Formats: sequence, C-alpha cells, structure tokens
Amino acid sequence: MTDILRIKDLKVEFVLPHMRVKAVENVTFRIGAQETVALVGESGSGKSTISQAIMGLLPKAAQITNGSIIFADPDKPGTRVDIAMLDRSGAQMRSIRGGRISMIFQEPMSSLSPLHTIGDQICEAVRLHRKVGNSEARELAKEMLTLVGFADPKRALKTYPFELSGGLRQRAMIAMAMVCRPALLVADEPTTALDVTIQAQILRLIREVQSELKMSVLLITHDLGVVANMADRMVVIYDGRVVESGRTDDVFINPGHAYTQSLLAAVPHFDMGPDERLKPLREIKPKTGSLLALNESEDDPREQTEVPPSLALHPSMASEPVLAVRHLSKSFTQRKGNWFKAEHHSIPAVSDVSLTVNRGECVGLVGESGCGKTTLSKLIMRAMDPDDGSILFRGESGQMTELTGLDEDQLNPYRKRIQFVFQDPFGSLNPRMTVQDIITEPMIIHGVGNSAYHRKMVLELMEVVGLDPRFLSRYPHSFSGGQRQRIGIARALSLKPDLLIFDEPTSALDVSVQAQILNLLKDLQRDLNLTYLFISHNLAVIDYVADRIAVMCAGRIVESAPREQLFRNPLHPYTQALLNAVPFADLDHPLDFNKIMDGKASDPARWPAPFTINRNSDPKMMQFAEDHFVRAERADFTEIAI
Amino acid sequence: MLTFLARRLFVMVPTLIMISVLVFVIIQLPPGDFLSTYLNELQSQGEAVDPAKIEFLKHQYGLDQPLYVQYFDWAWGLLHGDLGFSFEYNLPVTEVVGDRLWLSLVLNFSTILFIYIVSFPIGIYSATRQYSWGDYGFTLLGFLGLAMPNFLFALVLLYYANVVFGTSIGGLMDPEFINQGWSFAKIMSVVEHLWAPVLVIGTSGTASMIRRLRANLLDELGKQYVVTAHAKGLSPLKVLFKYPLRMALNPFIADIGNILPQVVSGSVLVSVVMSLPTTGPMLLTALQSQDMYLAGSFLMFLALLTVVGMFVSDVLLAWLDPRIRLQGGVGK
Repeated sequence: MTDILRIKDLKVEFVLPHMRVKAVENVTFRIGAQETVALVGESGSGKSTISQAIMGLLPKAAQITNGSIIFADPDKPGTRVDIAMLDRSGAQMRSIRGGRISMIFQEPMSSLSPLHTIGDQICEAVRLHRKVGNSEARELAKEMLTLVGFADPKRALKTYPFELSGGLRQRAMIAMAMVCRPALLVADEPTTALDVTIQAQILRLIREVQSELKMSVLLITHDLGVVANMADRMVVIYDGRVVESGRTDDVFINPGHAYTQSLLAAVPHFDMGPDERLKPLREIKPKTGSLLALNESEDDPREQTEVPPSLALHPSMASEPVLAVRHLSKSFTQRKGNWFKAEHHSIPAVSDVSLTVNRGECVGLVGESGCGKTTLSKLIMRAMDPDDGSILFRGESGQMTELTGLDEDQLNPYRKRIQFVFQDPFGSLNPRMTVQDIITEPMIIHGVGNSAYHRKMVLELMEVVGLDPRFLSRYPHSFSGGQRQRIGIARALSLKPDLLIFDEPTSALDVSVQAQILNLLKDLQRDLNLTYLFISHNLAVIDYVADRIAVMCAGRIVESAPREQLFRNPLHPYTQALLNAVPFADLDHPLDFNKIMDGKASDPARWPAPFTINRNSDPKMMQFAEDHFVRAERADFTEIAI
Repeated sequence: MLTFLARRLFVMVPTLIMISVLVFVIIQLPPGDFLSTYLNELQSQGEAVDPAKIEFLKHQYGLDQPLYVQYFDWAWGLLHGDLGFSFEYNLPVTEVVGDRLWLSLVLNFSTILFIYIVSFPIGIYSATRQYSWGDYGFTLLGFLGLAMPNFLFALVLLYYANVVFGTSIGGLMDPEFINQGWSFAKIMSVVEHLWAPVLVIGTSGTASMIRRLRANLLDELGKQYVVTAHAKGLSPLKVLFKYPLRMALNPFIADIGNILPQVVSGSVLVSVVMSLPTTGPMLLTALQSQDMYLAGSFLMFLALLTVVGMFVSDVLLAWLDPRIRLQGGVGK
C-alpha cells in the first residue's frame, strides 16, 4: 500500500449532556505518498474536524463514533496504526503527532507562544521526537529555518514571534512542523490570513519543502484558487459529508456534484465579461422601495439620464466628483517593525494620496495589509486628522467643501453623507441592540425623520438587503456572517449617504456568501445610483465590483486605471507582482512560482529604476494613457494629479 | 533594560516625596495635636496641669514650630533612619515598632505563601477540569471563603478552639514568651500559633486567587498556541505548565505591588480580634491618639512597600514577558 493515510467511514460526533451533534459522517478518502490532497469546504462544513481527528486533537466533547484512520508510516514499512483507536494523549499518539504527522495553522499571529523564542519552540519539537542534545537540536532548527527562507537563522532562533511579520511567522511555524521530517503535513488554511504576495511565497515554500522532504500534504482550504495550484486530488466537503472527490483537474473541468458546481461558479475570476454575474448558492433579490429611490432622483435629476458606462470612466466627462482627495498624508510615530532593533520612527502610513470618486461609480482600492488603505478610509471619514493634504467632499449644498480643518460640529452634516461598512460582521454590530435599533440609530443620531418615517425606512431597508422584516426584533447573534453584513449595509444606507466606504466587506465571509453580498452591492449601486469606495486586498473581488481601481502600496497609490486597463496592461512592478501572485481557480492559469519575488515586490526602494522610491527619488503620478496613472520618474511625462 | 531600571528607580523618588507630604498633611488635618489630646484627657480626670510644663513639652517636641519646619524635621529624620518619637509610648518609634514589624512580616509572608501554595494547584485543577464535580466543590468553598468576613471567621475559630479543644489560639505565641528575648522555644511557639491567623487572613485571598487563576487559565487554554503545543506531541501536563500557565501568571505578578501593603495593613481587624502583636492595631491607635510620628512612619512604610512592590512587579513582568521587555513604548 503506497497510501500514507486512509480514512474510511469516519464519523465524528459532539456528545453534549443532552444531545449528540454530528460533525462529520461517512468521510472516506486517502492520501498517497508525496501527494497533495485538498480538503475543500466552507466554514462549518467539518473540514477542520477531520484534520483534528487525524491529529488526535479533537476537543473533549468530540468522539469518533465510527470508521478508521489508518496511518502507514513510510519509515516503518508494514506497520499500520489506526489513529481513531488511539488514546488522544497517550504516548503512541504523541509520538505520531508532531513527529510523523505535523500541522500548521491558519493564524500565524496566535499559533506561536509569544513568551518563548522561535528557537525554543522549534528545538522543543526536535527534542521531543529525536534523541538529540541541545546543540544538535539547535543545528537542526537552524537548518530548517534556512530551508524555509530565513536570511539569518542564527538570529531567528533568538527572536520572539511578535518581532516577525505574519509571513515570517508562518515560515517559522512551517519550520517547526517540518523539523522532525514528518510523513504527512496537515495544513489548515495555511495562507488564509496572509496577503496574496505572501500567500504565493508560502505556497511555493510548502511545495519546495514537500519535494525536499518527500512528504504528503493534506491542504485544508476554502480557496479554490489555492486548490487549483497546489492539489493533486481534491475532496469536497459539504455539511459534514464528502460530496465529491477526485483528481483536481477532473473535478475542475467536470464537477459532478451540484455543490461543487455552485462553489466554482461563486468564485470571482478575472476573465469575466462585463455583464457576467457570480452565482451564489442563494441569490438575494433586492427590492427597492419608494423612500430610498425617491430621494435619489430628487437630489440628482441628472442621474436619471443614462450615462453610457464607457463615459462614466472619464472623470472629465462623467458626472461630478463626490469626493476628491488631494495629496493626503498621515504619519504615525512608531517603533520600526525592524527585526532586531528598537528604533523610534515616524512612519508614513499614507503619503501623497490623491483620489477622486465620481457620483455613481465604484472605485476600488487594493493593497496588502499595512499599506495604509484603512488609514486612508479613516482619514476620509475624518476619524483621524491628516498631517497634510485636502479632502474635498460634495455636501448637500452641491458645493465641494474642504473637510480638513473642520471641527466636530461643522463636520456633523458631512458625517451622515459618508457611511461605512466594516470588515468584521461580528464586531461591528452591538450585540445588545435589536436589528431595528441598529438600523434606526443613525437616523436618530442625525435627527432624520420622525418615528413613522423610521419604521417605514427600516422596513424598506430590510427589503433592500433581502432580509425578512420579521427579523427586526432579533439580536445580531441569531444571524450568520453574511446576514450580519447585510444588516451593516442596511445601517449604512439608512441615511441615504452620498458615499459608501466598504472596508474589506467580504473578507470574513465564505465564497458563496461573498458572491451573494457582491451581487447585492452591484444591484444596489445600479438601482439606487450609489457611490462606492471599495477597499479590499482581493484583486478578483475588486475586479468584479469596481469601475476604476487604485493600487496602493506602502502608503502611496502606485497605479490607478480603469479596471480592464489595469488588468490588461499593468505597468507598475507592484501591480504586476500582485497580479502574478493571485492563485486563479482555473487550471489554465497556474501560478508561476518563478515570478514571485520574495518580499521585494512591496518594498518601494527595491522597485526597478523609473519606479524606485527612496531618499533620492520620490516619483509623482504620471499619466500613461487616458485615466491611467502610474507613479514613476520619467522625464517625458508631465506631472498630472489624478 | 538598564535605562528602564534607572528611569523606573528615579521616578520613585518624587513619588515618595509627594506621598510623604500628603501623609504629613493628613495626619495634621484633625484639629489639635497629641499634647492637646493628652491634656484634655488629664483635665477630664481632674488633674491640674502646669502651663509651663506644657510649654516646655511643646517646645521640646517641636510642636510650637511652623508646620513646614515640623515636616522637614520629620522628613530629614526619615532619611537618616530616624523614625521620630512616639508620644504615647514615650519611646523612639523604632523601639515601639520593634518586634511587631518583624512579626507582621512573618505573619504576612506566611499568608502570601499560604495563598499561593493553596490556590495554584486548586486554580489549575478547576481550570483544566472545568464543570467537573471537583471544580464545583472548590467553587463553593471559594465563595464561602470570599463571602465570610475575616473577623467573623476568626471569632468562630477562637470559639470552637476553646469549646472543643479547650485551647486558646489567640496571639502569636504562648503568653510566657511575651516581652522575652528571642529563643528557639519562642520561635517554635510562634510557628505553632501562626497557622490560625494565616488561615483566617488567607481564606478570602485564596478564594479570590483561585477564581482569578481559573478565569485567566481558561482564557489561555483555548488559545491557538496551546493547540500548536499539543500538535507538537507534548504531553498535556508539559503543555499546561510551559505555555498557558506561564501566560496566566502575568496578572499575579502585576498584583505584587498591591499585595504587599494590603497584607501589612489589611489584617487590622483580625489582629484586634485575635490579639496578634502585629502592626495593624498599633497603626489604628496611633491614628486615634494623633501620635503623629508613629502614624506617619507607619504610613510612609506602607507607601514605600507599595512603591517598591510596583517596582518589583514591573521588573519581574519585563523579565518574564518579552513582549513588555521588547515592545515597550510602542506609540500609535
């Protein structure tokens, strides 16, 4: 038998005092030697329970009530161990766990102990499973840290996890899992919490380490893009059952089960036609009522005449700008995120950002974590004061008003014109308020309408976001993530804002729910003629919703262009790196791991010549084509701010 | 790290000066002074007092001087280890306090030790076996300990010791050793008597410590790094001690600054009830009779303990937790 792991008829139940809840049932699949198998499913599908069962890490209440997990260790040919039968904290299970089967986790931020050095935590794993001395263990740890790409492994041994970036922590985590040279690596969403460029690096690393150590990988993920690029075979889990399994290319080309088909249809991809829609599992049909629509048309009679979409892209010809940000800058005083040294620096979070959002358009702002996109949105909301630059906003009067320098009272009328939808649907709704109160609150704060108007508006908003009005007296905890996000959208719409800012509204959601929300946003924008500033790290999502896209890196906008142009002809090296790093859920566009730059992509000082930003050169935005701007130093371009 | 220590020590100086001023002002706030209280007492007993003698006493004690001169005299004395002169006992404060201070320290140190030794195993047990019968049992006991006033427990204990066993467990030593020099027998007698006050003073501390350790540890046990440690194949006990327990310790270390003065002053009621020769009751009477140097020295001593305790806990925290050591001063 060449299979390393064979799972047969696995059933795991949670045994609670008065009931038994089935987590997974009838799960059967196998992992061959040196093979990568992807376990695909949405949150709550039971894929993590399967990985926990393999590792013997199931929570106390969970019991394996049926089936077997046969592990055949290639180092000990002929032996077979049924992990399902072993005592979870017994000596035999413990020698397999960490020694022969290792695991890496989703959250690199919290999965390493903050109180112990990287070296301590890796050496501990070595010494547990191998009879080696302290110095030998350090040597092995150093070797493994070199393999996972630490430039200076000797120093890395002495660093604490919080001194490392997310990507480096995940590398350290991989080193820790690999150091005993396991036969099987269980990777539970190893790149979900990472940026795309980092994700590509980590995926490449897992591949390299896999061939170096000749091990098998069980990759647990919800990202079909990752599956297409990594897995030999895939197993699709839905509601605790395997609905489909087979070779990755077979499943992608010819998905047999309806769930797999809908999963594939729900992923946004780059070569979608302008009118092509994502297909979520359940579509929301927003119904626009009189209150929202009426007001829009009164406010802006011009909008009723159809503007051809191509024209809407040109700021000069399109409708008036709602928001114009000019040369905005903000810096924080912070200890530098340097590896080993503590130095206090003034870190520019946002520098020289100019951005225009026209009425009725959706501007996408894309960038990796820490690039300053959230700071920018906070500056626009005036939750923070900018150091420099101007924010012009078209208020009710129809005049562009300078928002910087206004005090709290003067800002108040503008606050209700700009509304915000947050990333975390769980943290952004007060758990002690009913949905009714949550949606009504902005209207009460700003003294809009009377209570009859509030009631009518809330009912209409619920219809708009596709929620049953009977839910109004419920509390947020009884809703799913996607439903909560819709409540957040309803709340943001309640004041009929001129500008809606979305900060990663779908990054906490599953793909099918994400498709649902994205479609809802598109429909609302079309029906109510809304204006969006859409912030995301996910290029495919931005591509799906945005008309114009601005790419942000290290606090600056490096390229901005209409959507098709940006994807067809990316000019800036960072934009190119970003596009190269996105794993497509499409077998015809595999990731080119050779093109991935190790951390160079997001360092402005290491961009090639006309784009370099360092002490000597600080390029401005140059116009390349109509409405296509790049931050570059080029003598023959005249400087034009967007 | 060294600059951190130096800066931290430097900050203690103005803090202590501020406290000493406050202490002095507060003691002087009630009208009159020790002499006037003393005079009133004598007069109420019908004794005649010679005004010349009072003037002489006032002059001798410096009570006729302006307030700030009195303060500087006192503060200057403190700096030289001279704690001043107790009016009530007619002795230097150092001699009045004498043994009492050491006995208090012994008693309170034993109490802290008792709290830690008892509460840690129970807290860990309660957290790792959450909602088991054992956990419920300890929770019940803990709440009893928290709810019952210390002095009441002391009275109950005294009563039953007397009725059931026919012994007196009051005091910190057998009566024959009081006012005697230290000897081995006296030490043994102290040790024999120590358990009752330690038990009485320690119960509520133990109970609250168990609850807090349980809550802290439960928070940590669910964290991802604990799962990582399990995934390495560590044995459950090793995981517990190396990772979550160490994380759960921080609040306790941060608490040292509070515990030190609390145990010195907090046991006043119990000491009165059990007639323990500790500093608590003495501070009480000193404040009542406006024996200003005695009270002032006590209060300064408590302040010093607090400040030093805070310093110790800061240093320990920085030493134990690299995040505090290396990330301090991150400004947003």
